[in-house]
Amino acid sequence: MHMSDALLSVAVGGTMTAVSTGAIGFSIKKIKKIEIDDKKIPMMGVMGAFIFAAQMINFIIPVTGSSGHIGGGILLAALLGPFPALITLASVLLIQCLFFADGGLLALGCNIFNMGVIPCLIAYPLIYKPILKKGMTPKRITIASVLAVIVGLQLGSFSVVLETIASGITELPFTAFVSLMQPIHLAIGAVEGTITAAVICFIYNIRKEILDSALKGSPMRNVSIRKVLVILLVATIFIGGFLSIYASSNPDGLEWSIKGVTGTTELAADSSVHSAADSLQDKTAILPDYNLKDKLQVDNVVGTSISGMVGALFTLTLAGLIGVIILIFKKKKHYR
Amino acid sequence: MSDFKKSILQITTLEELTQKKTPVHRLQPSVKLLITVIYLIAVISYSPYQVSGLIPFIFYPIILMTLGEIPFKPLFQRILIALPFTLFTGISNLIFNKEITLYVMNIGITEGMVSFCSILLKTILTVMAVLILISTTSINDLVYVMIGFRIPSIIVIQIMMTYRYINVLIGEISVMYHAYILRAPKEKGIKLKDMGPFLGQLIIRSFDRADRIYNAMKCRGFEGDILYARKEMISTKSWIYIVTVGCLLILMRLVNISEEIGKLLM
Repeated sequence: MHMSDALLSVAVGGTMTAVSTGAIGFSIKKIKKIEIDDKKIPMMGVMGAFIFAAQMINFIIPVTGSSGHIGGGILLAALLGPFPALITLASVLLIQCLFFADGGLLALGCNIFNMGVIPCLIAYPLIYKPILKKGMTPKRITIASVLAVIVGLQLGSFSVVLETIASGITELPFTAFVSLMQPIHLAIGAVEGTITAAVICFIYNIRKEILDSALKGSPMRNVSIRKVLVILLVATIFIGGFLSIYASSNPDGLEWSIKGVTGTTELAADSSVHSAADSLQDKTAILPDYNLKDKLQVDNVVGTSISGMVGALFTLTLAGLIGVIILIFKKKKHYR
Repeated sequence: MSDFKKSILQITTLEELTQKKTPVHRLQPSVKLLITVIYLIAVISYSPYQVSGLIPFIFYPIILMTLGEIPFKPLFQRILIALPFTLFTGISNLIFNKEITLYVMNIGITEGMVSFCSILLKTILTVMAVLILISTTSINDLVYVMIGFRIPSIIVIQIMMTYRYINVLIGEISVMYHAYILRAPKEKGIKLKDMGPFLGQLIIRSFDRADRIYNAMKCRGFEGDILYARKEMISTKSWIYIVTVGCLLILMRLVNISEEIGKLLM
């Protein structure tokens, strides 16, 4: 499931790098808050090497005849906790990319998201943990592991499809791609889920305290403002970046109604003040009509997405500034 | 040779390559990382229908691989690993896009063929760029660069330790695997029902090992941070290199050099 650079566009690679960086930064903050001592650090290092070694054991997937290896996201999260697990997986993916050409360097953000963030920060807390909240028994462990792994892999492979299609390099139609990826990863997920369940049950019988401490040390309450802001920023880039490519070039509601009335989508200036303001706007607009000026000779599609991102970021900054100004005013009033 | 030994060999070979003394090795690590990233961005920013513009980008890897005395064999091995999935999607381009763009000696070249070549070329170029980076920069240097970029020490230590312990853990899993196979000679691999205890045993051993490592590190003064003596600033020579090569790469991206040369020749 490792994506390579050749099938990625700069916009997708950049966005996913930002998302993964945000997720890793968030995890590091959480680790610093929860762990009092640095004992986890050598543990994460050795478990990273373990995942490496474990991924070398291939199992045969029934029916398809192809082979797969475990990803290890849910297993690591169950042993170390979700945040250390994400950091561990990120380092494993980086080393695989650099030393084994498994995945591209710019695709690292995508790979960390698909194989790290999705199992550790989405599948684990939403599926694995709630099932085991009521108490750990081998039966519950099995159900939780298999479910979490299958869902995690399905979401992960679906992300691969989305990221590849959004990059626009491949002509493979969406339905064909999905109908190939999802069933294969369902089979892989079923096998990996069973193996994960078997391993965790083994640990449960021998060293239950490992699982207990991992489960306990991962509170997900107290969602900080910073996390929300990071998510908002990332969502903005995503929406501004990609979806603007698909933005309709049809006139929007206002322009459409103007056209209906006057026959053009824009009204001409008819006084000296208007024309002066017009020429001023012309000169100062960095992104006239939402496209980079021809100076850069960039593809039209890239132009739209960069201006989409820049516009969105600008708006967000302006909104933040206004909020800060209001806060300052309020504080001044309070101290009077 | 078993798969385990092959992976260990791969890592040690790359590590040995970084010990050479060539002009490329003498460049500062941060410079090499920066130029690699610029190169990768430039290459993947091409649309799938531009192939001629991509061709000049072959200069960078060829020059550096020859200057850096990087052998071509690991390159082919790595391209072989990276190719299957990209080839598969590339072939789908061949199948799905049959619009003809130009005729060469009465043979119609379809858009699908162009994008297939583009994907193939991009795969080769990107793999070469990363190989050049990793064969001329040791993991220690890369880690120092990360610290310089203010990446938190927890993730930097994580990368270093994972790298250092890969050989140890691969050695251990190799021993366990052979012990299993010797007791089950007719099996082609580990049976599914035995994977639980197999991996579980390795995990328990890894946890115990991590405990011993932690105690050893504490005895040697580990406090959660990496200690380093020098903080390497980027030298003037390196800046000149970055600016020159960076500008060249950006120029190659903006101007289709193949076309210009073609126009001159025709």
